[in-house]
Amino acid sequence: MRTPEQFKEKQGIDVFLRHRVRRLDPRAGRIEVEDIDKGETRALDFDKLVLATGARSRRLGMPGEEAENLFTLKDLGDGIRLKAYIDREQPKRVGILGSGYIALEMAEAFRTRGLETTIFYRGTRPASHLEPEIGDWIRKELDEKGVQFLPEHTPLSFVRNGKGKIVALETSKGQYPLDLVLSALGVVPNTEIAAEAGIGRGETGAIRTDEGQQTDHPGIYAAGDCCEVYHQILEGPVYMPLGDVANKQGRVAGENAAGGKATFDGVIGSSCFQVFSLQVASTGLTEKTARGKGLDVGVQNIEASSKVHYMPGAEPLLLKIVFERSSGRLLGGHMAGREGVARRINTLAVAVQSRLTVQSLSKMDFAYAPQFSGAFDPILIAAEQALKKL
Amino acid sequence: MAKTTRLIIVGGSAAGPSAAAKAKRVNRDLEVMIFEKGDFVSYGA
Repeated sequence: MRTPEQFKEKQGIDVFLRHRVRRLDPRAGRIEVEDIDKGETRALDFDKLVLATGARSRRLGMPGEEAENLFTLKDLGDGIRLKAYIDREQPKRVGILGSGYIALEMAEAFRTRGLETTIFYRGTRPASHLEPEIGDWIRKELDEKGVQFLPEHTPLSFVRNGKGKIVALETSKGQYPLDLVLSALGVVPNTEIAAEAGIGRGETGAIRTDEGQQTDHPGIYAAGDCCEVYHQILEGPVYMPLGDVANKQGRVAGENAAGGKATFDGVIGSSCFQVFSLQVASTGLTEKTARGKGLDVGVQNIEASSKVHYMPGAEPLLLKIVFERSSGRLLGGHMAGREGVARRINTLAVAVQSRLTVQSLSKMDFAYAPQFSGAFDPILIAAEQALKKL
Repeated sequence: MAKTTRLIIVGGSAAGPSAAAKAKRVNRDLEVMIFEKGDFVSYGA
């Protein structure tokens, strides 16, 4: 994080905090911007514009969501408010709605602070956007670390006291007393300014751009969580609001707005996170997504040691690869384990993005020393076993 | 004197500041303004 003064001194960029852009007129090349503290609105002309309006937390649409002890976590301010509330009110029981990586990372944070932590989820396994096998490993980690995971518990309503504070959550499987609620149900893109200006959005609901991050209005670009991104394996736009993607898109939008000709070629869907001591990493398509695309899908699951088993710190890891049976093309790789996961996924990301086959992957010359991996790396083992399924 | 081209960026979390920094590196004469509705800039990612 930097201050507006640092932006001005080091880069000559003018940053205006607490200024809300209310309206965009693409034809006139003009915006209306409100100084929130002064309550004044002024019009400003631009030659080029970048929309980087981000996303906001998805709401349940349930009465009581505005309660002072319900939080969402999207930006730094949300985190500061949540931490201050816990310090002040000393809640004991926290309920988390949702089961994506924000929910899981926050389960760890709450538990580490000694809170009784329960995840309420309408699905069956944590991190349902990933492979079910990975979800089972995450579940085991949550159980071991004392986080209660309640599957098939759909939130129905909040029970509130006379002051409007949430005191319990009513779910499809019963009522649970709570002192604090974190709603972590994902995000939706902020597209209101763009929509009112007539800027096109895609089927995902996010702003549509070309490979140079330009919208359907020349000179107006979009980048980050407010816009779509091209998925190289699915060969179409998806909504994938991730920080690294936002930075890359922003850089391309900025270069082109300044007269350059940069392109952002898209993503394959790589991500990683950690819950307690379990690393989780994923790249490319899951089995479910690949089947949904109508591909002839083969999968290979293996459990292997992160390094040679006699070395200190060796840990079991789970690796699942997804491939096309007819061609052998690698479509995705998914891993969980306490060691050697988050970096190893990038090897698979290179393979997926370069359209390697499991035949080629099984012959890769990887570096070997026992403290880093087995003589046959887990990736080589999985690829070798996959050959039998082509 | 020729008018300096003005680039306006709506949003100051991750994509906005990245765009601003790159634009300024490509063209130092560009006037770059970031408008952020919140209290912080460059707080994401």
